[in-house]
Amino acid sequence: MKTKKVLVVDDSKLLHRMFEMMLRGYPLVHAFDGREALDRLAEHKDVELILLDINMPRMNGLEFLTAVKAHPEFARIPVVIITTEGTEDDTERGMQAGAAAYVKKPFRNEELIGVINKLTASPAA
Amino acid sequence: MNSRAAAPAQLPSRVGSALDELRATLDRAAELAKAIESKPETPGDLSARLADVESDREELSTKLAEYEQQVGRLMNLYVATYQLHATLDPGEVQATIAEIAINLLGAERFVLLFWKKEAPQPIAECEVAFAQGLEDDHSGLYRNGIYGGGDPAVDATLADGVLRIGPIDGSEALACVPLTVQGATVGALVILKLFDHKTMLKPEDRDLLDLIAAHAASALFAARVYSVTDRKLKTLESLVALVRRQ
Repeated sequence: MKTKKVLVVDDSKLLHRMFEMMLRGYPLVHAFDGREALDRLAEHKDVELILLDINMPRMNGLEFLTAVKAHPEFARIPVVIITTEGTEDDTERGMQAGAAAYVKKPFRNEELIGVINKLTASPAA
Repeated sequence: MNSRAAAPAQLPSRVGSALDELRATLDRAAELAKAIESKPETPGDLSARLADVESDREELSTKLAEYEQQVGRLMNLYVATYQLHATLDPGEVQATIAEIAINLLGAERFVLLFWKKEAPQPIAECEVAFAQGLEDDHSGLYRNGIYGGGDPAVDATLADGVLRIGPIDGSEALACVPLTVQGATVGALVILKLFDHKTMLKPEDRDLLDLIAAHAASALFAARVYSVTDRKLKTLESLVALVRRQ
């Protein structure tokens, strides 16, 4: 089975390390803000899932999500927002912007793996 | 003619053993047939066995979920420890402590305190090495980058190096985590507020708080010592280079 490539967009090195441990079955592409993530997407056109933080320097997660959903080539990629912004309004804003799922930090690893498995339809670890 | 009767004795041993096996299989089949005839399984027996199997499956599924949670917790601890010791840059170590507090504990407002070396005893002061969300703090205890005492839980932790988890009378701290190096308390991480969607610290958070108490200060201490040594080395190197040029 083809392994799906995942783009991780978060300004926390700790979270990048954690995703490396959690998603050992997936090739990961790393970016630390929205602008860098757009560059990575242009380089890796085979990305099939995006894990996205909201609060980041230069370009935040919602701006990045809007740009992705407006792009004809990338709009189909499911995006999971993973953030500390946990109010109902935040969740609604994220889902309206086109996110496929919204996970609040701190999250249980098995909860996130469940979401990822559902979106990629293949075991995560 | 007794050639037929003599034939089995002349058979190669492979065929003989196959015949033995066949006989044994037939015997087992006969035994099984007898067992089935003597004790036919009723629908009641079958439902009881099905119920047992389902109960086993549920137990295994619960255990699997527990193991997954345990693996998740261990992974968090491993990653936090790894990241704390992955750098010798004091700024990065502080950032990692903050990332652990925010991303793994769900802390919205917290301060990282370190004893000031030059503070006159017993009027001890701590420097606020890192703070998050203090703009919403109305206690005034952490103003101007200095903590001069006033919160009983924080003061107690700084004095005795014991981890305290609130609520504590007279204190606004939810958790006071001592930062210790070689048994000496050099500061504390004080968690003042969690994100609204995280209502309280959970039992599993205790492991992370213990980890911070044990590793954060030593990682930061090592990074600071390295940073000072590195700066001195670079100064000496440039002096030597200057002398050589002259």
